[in-house]
Amino acid sequence: MRNAFSRALVEAALADERIVLLTGDHGYSLFDEFRRVCPDRYLNAGVAEQNMVGVAAGLAKGGMRPWVYGLAAFVPLRVLEQIKIDICYEGLPVVLVGDGAGVVYSTLGASHQATEDVAALRALPEIGILSPADAHEMTACAGLCACATGPVYLRMGKSDLGDVHSRTPALYWGRWCELRTGDGPLAWIATGSMVTTALALAGQWPGSEVWSAPCLKPIDAAAVRQACEKHQAVIVLEEHSIHGGLGSAVAEVACDSAPTFVCRVGIRNRFSRFCGSYAYLMREHQLDVESIAAQVRDFVAPLHDQTGGHLFRKTITTKKAA
Amino acid sequence: MKQFDARRLRKTVLEMAYTGSTAHVACAFSLVEILAVLYRSHLRLGDGPGWPERDYLVLSKGHGVMAQYACLCELGWLSEGDVGRYFADGTRLKGLSDAHVPGLEVSSGSLGHGLSVGVGLALAAVRRGSGQRVFAVVGDGEINEGAIWESLLFAAHFRLSNLMVIVDANGYQAMGRTCEVIDLGQIVDKFTAFGLETREVDGHDEQALDRTFGALARHPSRRPTAVIAHTVKGKGVSFMEDDNRWHYTRLTQETYAAALAELSAEQGPGLNAIECGVA
Repeated sequence: MRNAFSRALVEAALADERIVLLTGDHGYSLFDEFRRVCPDRYLNAGVAEQNMVGVAAGLAKGGMRPWVYGLAAFVPLRVLEQIKIDICYEGLPVVLVGDGAGVVYSTLGASHQATEDVAALRALPEIGILSPADAHEMTACAGLCACATGPVYLRMGKSDLGDVHSRTPALYWGRWCELRTGDGPLAWIATGSMVTTALALAGQWPGSEVWSAPCLKPIDAAAVRQACEKHQAVIVLEEHSIHGGLGSAVAEVACDSAPTFVCRVGIRNRFSRFCGSYAYLMREHQLDVESIAAQVRDFVAPLHDQTGGHLFRKTITTKKAA
Repeated sequence: MKQFDARRLRKTVLEMAYTGSTAHVACAFSLVEILAVLYRSHLRLGDGPGWPERDYLVLSKGHGVMAQYACLCELGWLSEGDVGRYFADGTRLKGLSDAHVPGLEVSSGSLGHGLSVGVGLALAAVRRGSGQRVFAVVGDGEINEGAIWESLLFAAHFRLSNLMVIVDANGYQAMGRTCEVIDLGQIVDKFTAFGLETREVDGHDEQALDRTFGALARHPSRRPTAVIAHTVKGKGVSFMEDDNRWHYTRLTQETYAAALAELSAEQGPGLNAIECGVA
């Protein structure tokens, strides 16, 4: 996925000479080709993220199209106010790239792990949020970034989990990718690193529908409504806090217009306690396939009809009438 | 009467502050001469606030925005109605600088933001070869912010000689004297050490400001420049000068009338015109 990002950035820069890259002294080897092809458009702003984001705003006001690269723990978290006031308030075309989102930096602890970045940005007006699952989605997302007329956050998480798509999908703002169709009781909605996990889990529940959500803001409300209306429960997976991310966004739509059971699987309001491999840390947060399967079984168990043994639909209309 | 007359600008500020029943009168009064000289003689503004080749006046010290509004009135970019209905429901002029207002380049007031954006504007101008300049006004209280020093490092490293940082050094910040809150020491030494070609000047002496701005614009070094303008908070009205209560205090009918009388007097106390002989 990182190679796809590098390639897409170089392609975008070759097509649009207004594109400049700002980095907060991060991105070792990621920008070698960019620096070779357009060396004068590579700006290392130093370990000074606040200024970097303000400078990006000024460059955008001056007619440039800045891409700002940092670790997700710093861009957006450390510079949230600069993003709000300098960029979003004026709706400036700045692409913010947050690398290593989630618990990718599994050995470095809380400072370098970012499991609240989507929640922080989702409340800001004007900004769009993208979260690709594989190299193909990254290519498509980078294409959306290159054409964007306002601010975008490109969330880059665990990048070596294999492909979800066989070729680059056509992506649009506010549209998701339906990877599996089915009429079973469960629909799965996942983003970024959790899409491969969703596909693995879906096999355990026959008839599952699976969506990849590369666009977190705006979300695909039509897809959510479809999933809610067609299935008895929706399981949302994200390598992010269950508060304020994709699970919350899905629950908001369900709550507004298509009530159903929504199971939010993600980081449960806590920091990582220990360090270790990425796989270890995902287990610690109960985000591995086995742990999630157990969570989902627990979630759907009380939904079983006592006689038939099938999931039943929540009778919201009756409640409303009462 | 000449354009951007300091006394008239202060009267506009006073009128806005009274109309809007707003704080920050003293913050605006300290930078009146700085803005007057820039607007009168140094900013190339073309045919209006949307002229793409204009020089940028970046008011990073957003709390002084009424002084900039007063200048925009002189330019005809704001109307009498804007001034007369300051802070009325549904009006567009806020109590801090806001980039949605034509003529204001940045949104600042959450301090330490404007200078970075100004640095970006300066860099964009250099890359386009447009010849545009950026004049960024920061407060001495504002430079407590770490982002300011990040910006100075960046501006010096990228040799943004089209950037001039002007410090409105009125010696106060919200809760007291800067030397008592967070002592800045010699600001000129710090800016020089950060790589800026730096001068000090009496920030109410229009001729000195004019000479300094002009000299720095012609300076041959490929470095950003800075002017530490020593000012008096509340300058122009005797009972506001060097009294930090006027960071917060709203005008009453009595204080408004007394201040207006001073600013309207032929030779009132504390008037710039007398001190620097440019009336």
